[in-house]
Amino acid sequence: MNAPVIEARGLEKRFGPVVALAGVDLDLPRGCVLAVVGPNGAGKTTLLRLLAGLARPTRGWVRLEGVARGRREARRRIGFIGHATFLYPALTARENLLFAARLYGVSDPAGRAEALLARQGLAQVADQPAGSFSRGMAQRLAIARGLVHDPQVVLLDEPFTGLDRPAADRLDAQLRNLRTEGRTCVLATHDLARAAAVADRALVLSRGRVAHAAEGAPLVGETLERAYLAAVDGSA
Amino acid sequence: MSVFLAILWKDLVTEWRSRDRVIAMGLFALLVVVVFHFALPEAGADRLRPALPGLLWVAYVFAAMLGLNRAFAVELENDALAGLALVPADRGWIFLGKAAANWILLGVVQAATAVAFALAFDVRLAAVAVPLSGVVALGSLGLCSIGTLFAAISVRTQYREVMLPLLLLPLLVPVLLGAVDATAQLLDEGRVSFAPLQLLLVTNAVFLIVSFVGFEYVLDE
Repeated sequence: MNAPVIEARGLEKRFGPVVALAGVDLDLPRGCVLAVVGPNGAGKTTLLRLLAGLARPTRGWVRLEGVARGRREARRRIGFIGHATFLYPALTARENLLFAARLYGVSDPAGRAEALLARQGLAQVADQPAGSFSRGMAQRLAIARGLVHDPQVVLLDEPFTGLDRPAADRLDAQLRNLRTEGRTCVLATHDLARAAAVADRALVLSRGRVAHAAEGAPLVGETLERAYLAAVDGSA
Repeated sequence: MSVFLAILWKDLVTEWRSRDRVIAMGLFALLVVVVFHFALPEAGADRLRPALPGLLWVAYVFAAMLGLNRAFAVELENDALAGLALVPADRGWIFLGKAAANWILLGVVQAATAVAFALAFDVRLAAVAVPLSGVVALGSLGLCSIGTLFAAISVRTQYREVMLPLLLLPLLVPVLLGAVDATAQLLDEGRVSFAPLQLLLVTNAVFLIVSFVGFEYVLDE
C-alpha cells in the first residue's frame, strides 16, 4: 500500500473569532499533485502554512511521512514557495541560492546553485542583486530557492503569479517532473486551467471549508470550474 | 555550524552593501557623545570623571538598541523570517549567527565611538585600549545575546521600536553593572578586578544559553 506522504486530520485554524480553516483532512500519496483552489480568503495560504509548520493549527494535526509538522525532520522534507519570495534583495541571485543551500546543508552548494540558475533561465543574471529583479524573475529565483534542497514535499502558493507565458510553461513542466520523480506537491492557485492540467487531485475551499473535492488525473476542468465559481459566489 | 556561518556571512555581506545599520548606529552614538559633551559643565571635569564610564555605556546601549531593532527588519522583507523558520536545523544556530553579526557590527561602532569619546572628554584610552576592548567585547556579548533574542520576539509586534527597549533594558542591568564597573576601574587604575568580569561572564553564559534554547520557539507564529 502507498502510505500517505502528507496526512492531515481535522485541521482547523482560527484567528480570534475568525475561522480561517476548518475540518480539512488530507491523505496525499507519493507523486500526488493536489491543487487547492478557491476565492481570496478561502484558506488556501493558511492550509499551506499549516502543512509547512509555519503556523500552528488550532485543532487537528499534520504528519509528513509520519513525522509531526514543525519538527526538524519534517522541515527537511518541505520546499515552500510562498507568496513572498524569502529572498534578500541585497544578495545576488547566486548568493541567495548559495545561502539557502548552506542553510539546508546541501553537499555541493555552488554546483546546486548553478544547476538551478540554469534550469530557471537565470544564469545570465546570476550576479545581479535580487532586488533589481522583476516580479517574474524574482518568482523564478524563489522557485529555485524552494527546490534547492531537493525536497520530497513541495508546497506552492500562487506560483504562477507574475510569471510570463514561457516561465509559467517552464513551471508547468517542472511540476510534471516533480510528480514523475515521486514528489508530493500541493499547489494553491487561481489558475484553474493550469491546476486541472497539472494536478491529479483538487480541493475547492470556500470560507475555510472544503466545498468540493475531485480526484483522478486528468481533472475535468469544467467540473472544477463550476465548483470554483460556486465557491466564489458563496463567498461573495 | 554551517547554519551559523551562513547567517553570519549573509548579515555581514548585506550590511557591507547597504551600511545603513552601522551608519545609523554610529551617528546616533556620536550624537550622544556630542550632546553629553555640550550638556555637561566643562568647569567640573574632575567631578565628571566618575560618570564617564556610564556615559560611554549609555552611548553603546542606545546604539545597540538601534542596531538590534534593525537586525530583524531585514528578515521581514519578502518574509525571509518564514524562510528561516523552515530551516531544518536547531534554530539556536540561527540565533548565534544573528547575535555574532550584531556583536561584530556593534564592535565597529563602539571602536569609533570610543575615539570620539576620548576626544570629547579628554580621556586617555590608548593606554588601556587592549583591556578596555576586552571589557567592551564582554559587555557587548551579553547585550547582543539577549538583545538578539528580544529583537526577534519584538519584530512581529505592532510597536517593535518601543517594545524592544521596554523588554530589554531591565534585563541589561547586570551587564551594565559589570561593564560600567570594569570600565571605571580601567579608566581610574589602569587595571580591572575579577568581580565585574565574573558578573559579565556569568550573565553572558546565562543569556547565551537561554537565548540559544529560547530561539527555537521565537520563530513560530
